[in-house]
Amino acid sequence: MKRTAVAAVVALLAALNARAAAHGEYQEFVRKSSGRPVDCALCHAHSNGPEGTAAGQIGSLSAEELSRLGRARAAFEPGANVDSPILNDFGDLILQRVGKKRVLELRSAPDRLPDELGVASDLDADGVPDAREYLEGTHPLIASDGDPWSLFVHNVRRHVFQLVMITAATLITLFGLGNLLHGFAVRLRAKESAGKGAGT
Amino acid sequence: MIQSFLLVGLPYAAVLVCVLGSIWRFRSKRFSYSALSSQFLEDRQLLWGSGPWHVGIFVVLAGHAVAFLVPSVWASLVSNRTVLIGVEVLGLGAAILAILGLVILTLRRLRNGRVQAVTTTVDLVVLGILLVQVVLGLLTAVTHRWGASWSTGTASPYLWSLATLRPDPALVADLPAVVQAHMALAWVILLLVPFSRLVHLFSLPVLYVFRAPLVVVWANPRRFERATAFVERIEARRYFLRATAGLAAGGALLAAGTFDQFVHFFFGPRMSEKQSADLMEKKLARLEQNAAQKKLELERTRQAYIRVAKVSELSPKKGRYFVDYEMRPALAFQGQDGLPVLRSAKCTHLGCTVGSDVDAQGRILCPCHVSYFDVGTGRPNPGAPAKDPLPAIGWVLMDADLNIVASRSPDGAVHGAPDPSQLQDLDVYIAKAPEGRRA
Amino acid sequence: MKLGEIAGGTATFVRERFPVEKLNAESMLTKKVVPVHRMSWAYYLGGLALFFFLVQIVTGLMLLFYYQPTVSDAHASVEYITQHVSGGALVRNLHAWSSSAMILSIIVHVLTTFAMKAFAKPRELTWVTGVALAMLVFGFGFTGYLLPWNQIAVNATKVGLQSIEAVGQYLPGEMATWPTYVRETIQGEAAVGQATLSRFYALHVIVLPFLVAGLLGLHLFQVQIHGMSRGVDSERVGSQKFFPFFVIKDLSVWGVAFLVLFVLGLCLPFESFFAYPLMEPFDPLGSTPEGIKPEWYFFFVYYPLELLPYWAVMLGMTAAVVGLFVAPWILRGASRRTLRAIAIAAAVYLVVITVFGQPIYEALKGVNP
Repeated sequence: MKRTAVAAVVALLAALNARAAAHGEYQEFVRKSSGRPVDCALCHAHSNGPEGTAAGQIGSLSAEELSRLGRARAAFEPGANVDSPILNDFGDLILQRVGKKRVLELRSAPDRLPDELGVASDLDADGVPDAREYLEGTHPLIASDGDPWSLFVHNVRRHVFQLVMITAATLITLFGLGNLLHGFAVRLRAKESAGKGAGT
Repeated sequence: MIQSFLLVGLPYAAVLVCVLGSIWRFRSKRFSYSALSSQFLEDRQLLWGSGPWHVGIFVVLAGHAVAFLVPSVWASLVSNRTVLIGVEVLGLGAAILAILGLVILTLRRLRNGRVQAVTTTVDLVVLGILLVQVVLGLLTAVTHRWGASWSTGTASPYLWSLATLRPDPALVADLPAVVQAHMALAWVILLLVPFSRLVHLFSLPVLYVFRAPLVVVWANPRRFERATAFVERIEARRYFLRATAGLAAGGALLAAGTFDQFVHFFFGPRMSEKQSADLMEKKLARLEQNAAQKKLELERTRQAYIRVAKVSELSPKKGRYFVDYEMRPALAFQGQDGLPVLRSAKCTHLGCTVGSDVDAQGRILCPCHVSYFDVGTGRPNPGAPAKDPLPAIGWVLMDADLNIVASRSPDGAVHGAPDPSQLQDLDVYIAKAPEGRRA
Repeated sequence: MKLGEIAGGTATFVRERFPVEKLNAESMLTKKVVPVHRMSWAYYLGGLALFFFLVQIVTGLMLLFYYQPTVSDAHASVEYITQHVSGGALVRNLHAWSSSAMILSIIVHVLTTFAMKAFAKPRELTWVTGVALAMLVFGFGFTGYLLPWNQIAVNATKVGLQSIEAVGQYLPGEMATWPTYVRETIQGEAAVGQATLSRFYALHVIVLPFLVAGLLGLHLFQVQIHGMSRGVDSERVGSQKFFPFFVIKDLSVWGVAFLVLFVLGLCLPFESFFAYPLMEPFDPLGSTPEGIKPEWYFFFVYYPLELLPYWAVMLGMTAAVVGLFVAPWILRGASRRTLRAIAIAAAVYLVVITVFGQPIYEALKGVNP
């Protein structure tokens, strides 16, 4: 009994979802603006989007997850605390910041999503704000994905202490090796001049 | 009462006496303003005592000085675990070195007759106090660990309060007795400076360490040659010394910097409950996916027929993925005659999986190297990287009672004619190829 | 008689490559000198490659502590290393950077030794083992790429293995199926799966390292016996003792290399240069993602494969490999000037195809689907 009810809910939601869920406009825009192959996993839990029966897709949800999905769907205005089972943290963030209503409106102008997201949020803490990662087609949740130069600058700042230590260690070692070289050179010269002295 | 004298009165008295006493001594007994070396009386034990003592105490004092002079910088430094451990280990090592040196120096004073003759009571008192002081410091370090860290909030502000003439003994009043004794004794040592050989603190030959050796040579070719060889030997030795120092310091720094990281690598992570639950969930999902694939494989080894879909579920515009008997991806479409079209989805170029969307010309695209395949014939577009057509897969149509209504072999020949009115209710199956005829 | 001649010839060949009077530590270590001239920098490249190989051994062993070579766990274990293990991201990133650095230094090493005619008698064995080592290192790259078991890696491996099968179309009759058997033997089953992962793992972690260690031993032994080749035609060639002077300089170069490697490993994720996120584990039933590409060091064969007829590329590559192996004999009389020209041409080709491969590909194919 309960199972059929759940199945019915799944079917209903899937039907509703077919219209609203797959926001291909955003994906299309990111692909065009960045030139990188981006899939649904930018915002969704599964790389093929919400439809299907795999983990992170609507067909696999438990009753508790379905209720979370329902709450996420009802987050029409910004500010709601969203934890959707079919979205990843970046998807949740978009709903939180922008609200479902605006997400649907912005489908006609996906280039304006970054402005609405703002630059404050950086979910993977890699130094590149989520909004910029969206524009550049890199993943907002993977710290090793991003504009290489920005990542480098960010990491240098983060690890400045270790970098100074390791540079100092290397320089001191090089200083030691250089002196070793000089020492051997002087000894060789001494030996040669001694040999010459003995010869004459 | 005694405590406030030790923590406030004694420091000021010590500084005053030290300054005035040193000035008095410089003016009255200028030539005693040194360490009063006894090296010419005995040099072997002196080397093994004086060397460790001075190296050890120099390191320890440098640590104290930095912590007192720039407590905020020091605090931020030792907030790094590796540095804190490094500093403590270095400090302990230096203290032990200093104690060893002092013990040797004391024994030398007591046992060597020639040195004993020039030893005064003050010398012995100073040696004893220094020994006690270093031992107290060592005890502090061992019994109240991480002093490098906590001293920045206690001893450093206390010293600053003294230096700014607003003494505040409360800062250190509740410290353990051993620490307070260590501090009080420090003032006593300062007090003793002008009256003992400790006064050499103010006449350090710093530049001596850095200057090149001076060699006095007579103007005589033979002697000159010998002197040159001598200089070269010294020069080489200086280089080797610096090299050893550089390599040792570099190696130590490197070890200190990487040790922490690498040791923790082998410890394994300390994950929060949520993290390990998430990880377990992910691994479980992967195992399930793997199990599902194994089930498909087993099904394909055991069963003569595999169900693909209902005929009504097939579409001419979008293919439906399924797995063929070789465990390769395949696509099912609705053909123009209403019968199913089953085709391998493994690109004949380099084996990528072909997409499922049918375009306006009735073609599907392999995204890897852009080959378009006609759904009806399987042939790639002219000029595509793929040269061979996507192979067709034979199918069998069965009704709900598993009676075979119609079938098509891979070469396209259809057997049997399904009733068009019932067609939509039939199920599409793929059949196992006869033994020895692998597709 | 004939047999006797061959035996005698072989004995002479071996005697000249392993001269008894030089098989002692004094001759190989203390007496060895290294020429000093304007191409002297090239003598450091082999040592540099050795350094990166040592880094690979250390970081590779560390990764082995956590890596799990099964299709269900491989990807998760790599994620575990980079996200949860302390210093794990650094170790994995060092492994990636060092592998590329090793391959780069080996390529330059091969080119410079070729240009300096370092393969001339009696150093043929050094050269042949060196070329074999370079091949093995590419094998390291190919097998190691698969181990994280993500979409891109598995599909790229599939494509790479599939190109073996493409040889079949040029073979007559029954032989046409042989490449398929070769491919299936390499991957262990009909499709890339657990068997492939296990085999690649064994190759990457056990077989190749031991092969490399053995060949490297022979290579270095030959280098120490025969010393560095003179390398230039110029008359003004100085010399310095190998030990301690050259060794110390070599160590200094290693120090700088270590610093650069560490900074890169700590601050610049190797993956950030990939044009796609590596997050997805391989799904055997999913569609192949777009834009799969091998690592940069395979571009020199990847782009020609995309652009030219298959037989032309295979012929060219086979000729190049065979040519490299037999260079000491067929180029015995070639002057250094000629060799330098060949090496420069090869270098220009490698740089152009590696750096500008994608634009060239797009321009020639006219693809922008």
